[in-house]
Amino acid sequence: MSITLTMPRLSDTMEQGTIIRWNIKEGQEVLSGAIVADIETDKATMEMQAYDDGIVAKILVGEGTQVPVGTPIAMIAEEGEDPQSIASSDGEGQKSTAATTPAPGPASIETPIPPVATSDTTAQVAPETTSVGRRKISPVARRLAEEHAIDVSALTGSGPGGRIVKRDVLAAVETASANVAGAAGDVLPVQIPTVATAPAQTLMSTTTPMVQHVPALESTEVPVSGMRQTIARRLVESKSTIPHYQVKMRFSMDTLMELRKSLNEKLAAEGVKLSVNDFIVRACALSMAEHPMFNASWAGDRILIHGRVNVGVAISLPEERGGGLVVASIRDANLKSLRMISAESKHLATKARDKGLATEEMSDSTFTISNLGMFGVDDFTAIINPPNSAILACGAALEQPVVRDHQLAVGWEMSATLSLDHRVIDGAMAARYLGTLKGMIEEPMRLLA
Amino acid sequence: MSERIIEFRDALREAMTQEMHRDPRVFLLGEEVAQYDGAYKVSRGMLEEFGPRRIIDTPISESGFAGMAIGAAMLGLRPIVEFMSWSFSLVAADPILNNAPKMLYMSGGQFGCPIVIRGNDGAGGQLGSTHSWCVEGMFSNVPGLKMAIPAFPDDAKGMLATAIRDDDPVFFLESERLLAMKGHVPEGDHYVPFGKAVVRRPGTDVTLVSFGRPVHFCLDAAEELAKEGISCEVIDGRTIRPLDIDTIVQSVRKTNGCVVVDQSWSFGSPGSEVAAQVHAHCFDDLDNHVMRVHSSDVPSPYAANLEQEFLPNARRIAEAVRSALYVA
Repeated sequence: MSITLTMPRLSDTMEQGTIIRWNIKEGQEVLSGAIVADIETDKATMEMQAYDDGIVAKILVGEGTQVPVGTPIAMIAEEGEDPQSIASSDGEGQKSTAATTPAPGPASIETPIPPVATSDTTAQVAPETTSVGRRKISPVARRLAEEHAIDVSALTGSGPGGRIVKRDVLAAVETASANVAGAAGDVLPVQIPTVATAPAQTLMSTTTPMVQHVPALESTEVPVSGMRQTIARRLVESKSTIPHYQVKMRFSMDTLMELRKSLNEKLAAEGVKLSVNDFIVRACALSMAEHPMFNASWAGDRILIHGRVNVGVAISLPEERGGGLVVASIRDANLKSLRMISAESKHLATKARDKGLATEEMSDSTFTISNLGMFGVDDFTAIINPPNSAILACGAALEQPVVRDHQLAVGWEMSATLSLDHRVIDGAMAARYLGTLKGMIEEPMRLLA
Repeated sequence: MSERIIEFRDALREAMTQEMHRDPRVFLLGEEVAQYDGAYKVSRGMLEEFGPRRIIDTPISESGFAGMAIGAAMLGLRPIVEFMSWSFSLVAADPILNNAPKMLYMSGGQFGCPIVIRGNDGAGGQLGSTHSWCVEGMFSNVPGLKMAIPAFPDDAKGMLATAIRDDDPVFFLESERLLAMKGHVPEGDHYVPFGKAVVRRPGTDVTLVSFGRPVHFCLDAAEELAKEGISCEVIDGRTIRPLDIDTIVQSVRKTNGCVVVDQSWSFGSPGSEVAAQVHAHCFDDLDNHVMRVHSSDVPSPYAANLEQEFLPNARRIAEAVRSALYVA
């Protein structure tokens, strides 16, 4: 029996997973324990292991495709099995996409079966739909799509495993006819059937053609990744349930910038390169001793004050990995030195951007820092990362005209904006916290102890 | 036209008496059919009307009297065999399966076997596992027989009359749970042809196909689903052999969905056969694979609550319909 690999459930809450990268190819041998794929869950990117030895007969789900847990994603031929026959036995209509190279050995001496010539329209449509495995579509949905000349590759299936079902095609037919009726100059998600183009063209021709002064932007749809869904859900929940307010303060960064420069010069040989953010992480963490409510969570009938200080650091992910952001957790940041914080931040940021963080590397933060300073942002506000009670949004440390000792001078300044949960923290408390933070940032030697 | 409302059991008796008056070769035999008026009072008064030569009490020996009736049928009579329950037909497996359906074939056309075997089939209500058989799964597998399974009193009369006039062995499956059901039954000659399914409730979203008692479960489910805006077309197949696949196909081509409801177990059943045929005929019309609702794959439970849950009840049907329509 061939082995079917299915989308694994990699966390308790995982319902869907996206294949980020296949580490195997069709025809390749896999051994038990090998990492066959990187899977993006709602929380993290994780590795999928093979549990059996065999030959990869067929990859069923392409990279970048999201499927529900349990969906078959690849077929493995066991010892003594012919991977090609497994690949070809896998469902109807797949021959065009099963681009397996003939394996050497007995299989190659058999006379290849010539492709069957057919005038069936379905055979002509099939090859275009299959860049990432066969598009799942119910038979009647396929028939209706053909009848109405709907391009199924533009549809999102609402059935199990993204199967396109009757209602999806009917909705597209409706949209198509609505668009024709409205004669919008928009890109249609569907093609209008030939028989319907006559009235459509008539309608189109009566509208003023759009003058093309600039290159037109294309209307398109982007599928929502698991991460994007998680971000959407959590932030809507945060912004709509937490009574947010902001308190802002400017810090003089002269001493800190000087100290940082000096430390980095002296420690360069040891590979240490401290960022401004590393100082802020440490300062925020140390300030918790005096201000425990900033390291707390609202719990309905009580406030949970956390005994450990885990500072979350927001990390943006590169566009080519689908963008989005994660919050890496620097655990016990109040007990860690600047160089430890620095090393850990770098490690987590690199890992997040390269292959994604594990769930435990993102959980249990008690306070979060979001820093857009490296993009030259002056100041901004952030949305609280539940169950935190506060988030600090840091702008860039910039050289500014400043007043020092009643004199106009040039100095380094940074703006920091706290977003707070008013259920836990009142304005004066926020002001006092920022005051403590200001003290640490402006006298950064305290952060070295 | 008067709306004559009678019970299912009276409709069965009307068919038998009507045919016995018409054809002197027809007779009834079985346990307690004569002096006791039938274990379920289906043959009430028939002994008085037709006398002991045509209404015959038998010993408790299904194998014996079924074999005797088959012999009589081969030689020109038209017996009706009543099994108190189809569960008891299992001890008569050899005559009813190895002789009756094969006789015409094996004798090269010399001997037919125009026999009707009728009795209660399926869960009667806490009769336990050995007395609650749904034999349609096993027996419909055999070529050479016909299988009729009425769900309404008028069909009980019309289909039994047709069965008696049929020249092949007819396995006629009644339900103890339906015997007291009342409904309009035409007076006088009334024949319902075999192989003609009937749409019991028209609908647009999904086709429910069933036979016998579960047709009522389907109608209940359809009523419930209508409140959710789901329109079910309910087809009463009436006969399993011959199967009216045409009516089913016609409906599925319209609704694009199909749920088959069958009170027998799922493995190798009329339900699986209907599903296979619908897949073959309606492949390009289906929006989902054909779903099946059967009795659970366990011996039928005795406990009343478990028996209800075991049956292909309206709730389970509604779940299957929602799933078939991707609204689960």
